[in-house]
Amino acid sequence: MKKGIFTLFAFIFMILAACSNQSDEAATTPSENKEGKTEIVFWHAMSGDLETVLKEIVEEFNKSHSSIEVKPIFQGTYEEALTKFNTVAGTKDAPAIMQTFEVGTKYMIDSGKIQPVQKFIDEENYDIAQWEKNIVNYYTVNGKIYSMPFNSSTPVLIYNKDAFKEAGLDPEKPPMTYGELKEAAKKLTKKQGGQTTQYGFSILNYGWFFEEMLAVQGGLYVNHENGRKENATKAVFNGEEGLRVFDLIRDMYKEGTFYNVGQNWDDMRAAFQSKKIAMYLDSSAGVKTIIDNAPFEVGVSYLPVPDGVERQGVIIGGASLWMTKDISEKQQKAAWEFMKYLSTSEVQAKWHVKTGYFAINPAAYEEEIVKAEWEKYPQLKVTVDQLKQTKSIPATQGALISVFPESRQKVVKAMESLYQGVDPQEALNRAAAETDRALEIANKK
Amino acid sequence: MNTPLPVQPPASVQIRRKRTMRTTLEGITYLLPSLILFSIFLFYPMLRTMYLSVYLTDYQGNPVQFVGIENFVYLLKDVNFLQSVKATLLFVCYTVPTSVFLALCLALMANEKLKGIGLFRTCFSSTMGMSVAASSVIWMFMYNPSIGVINKVLSLFGISDVQWLLDPKIALVSVAISTIWMNTGFTFLILLGGLQNIDPSLYESARIAGVSYLYQLRKVTLPLLSPTLFFVTTVSLIHSFQTFGQIDILTKGGPMDATNVIVYSIYKDAFINYNFGSASAQAVILFFAILVVTFLQFKFGERKVHYQ
Amino acid sequence: MNVLRTFLLYALLITCSVVMLFPIVYAFLISFMSGAEVLQGHIWPQEFTTANYVAAFRKVPLLEYLLNSFIVSFLVMLGQLIVSSLAAFAFVFLNFKGRDVLFFLCIATMLIPWEATMIPNFLTVQKLGWLNSYLGLTVPFFALAFGIFLLRQHFKTIPLELYEAAQVSGVSHFRFFWNIVLPLSKTSLITLGIYSFLTTWNMYLWPLLVTNNDRVRTVQIGLKQMQTQEISTEWGVVMAAVIVVILPTLLLLFVGQKHLQKGLMQGAIK
Repeated sequence: MKKGIFTLFAFIFMILAACSNQSDEAATTPSENKEGKTEIVFWHAMSGDLETVLKEIVEEFNKSHSSIEVKPIFQGTYEEALTKFNTVAGTKDAPAIMQTFEVGTKYMIDSGKIQPVQKFIDEENYDIAQWEKNIVNYYTVNGKIYSMPFNSSTPVLIYNKDAFKEAGLDPEKPPMTYGELKEAAKKLTKKQGGQTTQYGFSILNYGWFFEEMLAVQGGLYVNHENGRKENATKAVFNGEEGLRVFDLIRDMYKEGTFYNVGQNWDDMRAAFQSKKIAMYLDSSAGVKTIIDNAPFEVGVSYLPVPDGVERQGVIIGGASLWMTKDISEKQQKAAWEFMKYLSTSEVQAKWHVKTGYFAINPAAYEEEIVKAEWEKYPQLKVTVDQLKQTKSIPATQGALISVFPESRQKVVKAMESLYQGVDPQEALNRAAAETDRALEIANKK
Repeated sequence: MNTPLPVQPPASVQIRRKRTMRTTLEGITYLLPSLILFSIFLFYPMLRTMYLSVYLTDYQGNPVQFVGIENFVYLLKDVNFLQSVKATLLFVCYTVPTSVFLALCLALMANEKLKGIGLFRTCFSSTMGMSVAASSVIWMFMYNPSIGVINKVLSLFGISDVQWLLDPKIALVSVAISTIWMNTGFTFLILLGGLQNIDPSLYESARIAGVSYLYQLRKVTLPLLSPTLFFVTTVSLIHSFQTFGQIDILTKGGPMDATNVIVYSIYKDAFINYNFGSASAQAVILFFAILVVTFLQFKFGERKVHYQ
Repeated sequence: MNVLRTFLLYALLITCSVVMLFPIVYAFLISFMSGAEVLQGHIWPQEFTTANYVAAFRKVPLLEYLLNSFIVSFLVMLGQLIVSSLAAFAFVFLNFKGRDVLFFLCIATMLIPWEATMIPNFLTVQKLGWLNSYLGLTVPFFALAFGIFLLRQHFKTIPLELYEAAQVSGVSHFRFFWNIVLPLSKTSLITLGIYSFLTTWNMYLWPLLVTNNDRVRTVQIGLKQMQTQEISTEWGVVMAAVIVVILPTLLLLFVGQKHLQKGLMQGAIK
């Protein structure tokens, strides 16, 4: 009587067995593959066109290095990749190289699962003076380089040149201060009936832009010199500098010259492309596609500063590559080889031209392809200049805290509350208090 | 005539016991695959979650410090969490009754015997074939204030721009609308199946009796559909409590946490902020909340259900 | 049925269809637009271009992903149908001690938020050595409370007399299950089958977690691979991929519908 059901179970097990045969074949291979090459698994979060370029670069590396094979594997967004890394770190499923966004820096160091690349820099006397100094500044922690900078970007002001002409503004003279920005935004705002058809300015509700607007004035995000001297314990972004940024947004929003684009990058760009906003802040990495897609002339400029405040420069954004600790010596060597390859000027030139990210190695800007590209897109050079003019102070070094993602969520909420009429100081204080609590918990761990 | 056997009660008990043993064993055999899988992939992780909810965890999710109910106490006092609770409840209220009602209307229409009805049935169920990710991307486009089609259409009627996903007062409703659209296909399909299982001869007799459509609906269709309706409501309720994908893509819990439903808040705490303790505590609260609601639904809802 | 009623009904049906289908058609139209056109918010493409489709297939191994998605979805569907129908049968027709408790326990699994199970399950699958295999992608989903619940509701509508008659004539439980209950529940089984197939097809985070290898990865990962954050997403390409990804499921739904009708007809004739 029970024969039937057992036959059924047997059938299920057969299917399972069939599946598992498949699995042996697909399982991750150990450090050396069949041809005796050292295999380097490289987890990244580069999607879309970025992945295409990255794959090309990796392929060229594999071709030119006969004993190493790098395997790039897409692992979702930075957050998703980090979650996954977190769960497999220290096991055989962990990658040799892991790409992590800049705000994950402290988190990666604290995880204890990584091998600082400083070791290899020292062993080989690798010259890091060839790198962009701001990039080195960001990734130097306690005097050590922990990870290899890779894709780096900064924020820029992007504006519609045609709209500038229409409004009687000089398209070659974008606003550099808050005062000029407000003035220009007023002229750029167009109304039709009771409806605004074009707004002057916009900032994405994203913590990164706030951090940058803070840094450009020399403002700190957290105490202890942005957490660079010792573990940060308190958020200080709710000071005078932070308030200026929030006041700017509030004032302009009240005047009707500021448009709330939400927190989605693509929505913001769509608003610009469809002429809903005439000026906005974007990542330098996005500049090229914007120029390509816009049906008007696009200008790129520096971040504006409050009137009477000296410009300090910008913090580097983007991501860097980390080497994991629990891999063989041979794999580490191979991983280091790959990292070095990525920072050569030729590769960086290609990377810069094809993606819009900075070259971490300024020598790349002397390469022919970059020169040709800059000829075509002079706007790209602006982004590089802004970075070069940055002063090395703790503010532009960027904050070093492990709870950055959480803190950013709080800042976003504070920005959103501005549009609901919440007092700027109050909104900032609340975000700061919530960041404090996150820091307190993190320091207990 | 069946006479009881008072002569040898122990033997009969033994036989009966043997028989119950056998049926129990057989029942377990049928349930075995489910039970094993549930234990490994659902009960075990849930127990682990409960365990973690009373700890402070490190970034890898390992418990480091026993904190007792501190995680819960903090949550219940936290305005952000209370906002999440509010958003979740509102979201459930917006989506469940509406999607069940709409799907029911569609199913009733699609159950009519008309030419080409199969085509309409396919149309109505089509959203079931859409992944949440794909649908959300499309809706995000439609909601876009500058290039989205919805505002374009509204502007034809002279209605000025609505910030669908950016206004804290509207955002949750907007997400709810897209969710209702996504859920309709599935709910519709199940309800249509239920309707078609109803014996046509019953309608025949109703027609002969000459009762009105509404009367027939109330007295014949709905009672006979009640098991399916009950099922659909329960499942929608549970799914609605656990909505995640569309929120991740459309609003990321914003603006001002207006759409930060508990599940999303758990996701953020666990996978972005690495506060596994707090995330686990929220998961436990959510679990018990759904448990209570489902229990009530079974207790009071199933009473009205008419099984053939 | 009078003419006016029919007319009204058709009008309603058509309106509803338009509303339901609009987003899909919209996506379809966008998939033929160039990048600049999408961002300027056109509804109808000025010029139909298939460049997006070419790009979508070139960028990620979409065909391979489609095949994997198909295999995984099919296996999960099969697994769920078998496991759920067995359990539902026990819950309806076998009377044993603790049945109701077990049933409620099963239902309770529906209430567990998946976020809570994700990481422990990942570790379990890792320990079992199921990473990068169809096993890890499918087995955790074989038991589905929802499926058990759905089938239980349907099994309950099967007249109990049928069961009693079978008992009296000495038909074994399994044969009763296999030869009578399952054929009678075709519609629910098909519904569940479609449901399992589609939900599996649409999974994203879990496949991303348990695979590191293009050979077993599924289409939803491919979709995500095309969207970017810091640089502009090419929406035309994404929409083209969306269309490619939903086409098989829509087709399945269409075919499933036909089958559903046939199953219903047979049920009606009996």
